[in-house]
Amino acid sequence: MIYGATVAALLVIMGLSLVRAFKGPTVYDRMVAANTFGTLTVITLAVYGFMRGRPEFLDIALVYAVINFIGTIAVAKFVKFSHLGHPAGDDHGGDI
Amino acid sequence: MMVYKSILRVSSKLLIPPILLFALYVQFHGDFGPGGGFQAGVIFASAFILYALIFGIDTARRVVTGWAVRLLLAGGALLYSGVGVAGLVLGGNYLNYSVLADDALVGQHLGIFLVEFGVGSVVAAAMITIFFTFAGYRNSPGESLPEESGPEED
Repeated sequence: MIYGATVAALLVIMGLSLVRAFKGPTVYDRMVAANTFGTLTVITLAVYGFMRGRPEFLDIALVYAVINFIGTIAVAKFVKFSHLGHPAGDDHGGDI
Repeated sequence: MMVYKSILRVSSKLLIPPILLFALYVQFHGDFGPGGGFQAGVIFASAFILYALIFGIDTARRVVTGWAVRLLLAGGALLYSGVGVAGLVLGGNYLNYSVLADDALVGQHLGIFLVEFGVGSVVAAAMITIFFTFAGYRNSPGESLPEESGPEED
């Protein structure tokens, strides 16, 4: 019961952060909203895992936390430098 | 190099070893929990992608050199198909794990372990290659990228 209420509240908050991500006037609003959405996904996965009695969901929540962190850094770098490999040196032409 | 972004540098240095460890956990604990070779490869590659994002593609290329990536790509696929051919040679079907050892259960453990390891190394190397190739790409050879604005934005 308490888990269900928590998941419902988290889903409402996730919807609100999605609204901010779509409407956000500046790109920073969208970035913070997307990061918040990812964090809420982590919490929702953890709570839902315990609600269904499957704590293995914590592994998936950890993966989400890591990927969310890296994705936010990548988006922030792309917004600032317009290029993910900003300090690109010689043109290697790939690794293949 | 994002020289002056000390928060990002320190936090990513703190995070990269746990990410690698977690990738190994997902790889080798995949039989008992969620995970497996593909997921572990992606997580393992994401640590190197984070390193490349913070410290630059060229520094990351010195960490994961081209020959290492090629070795992982080819070696993982070779390991996968080698386990399959080993089952064929030992008297079973292609990718039949039960004949790999005297005991069928031990053989299945060994076969799944080796195949998942091959999948993990191929996926990790492929993800690293894709990121390095696309992020290291420049539109024209002489084009200069915008300079970093300096330490005042810490």
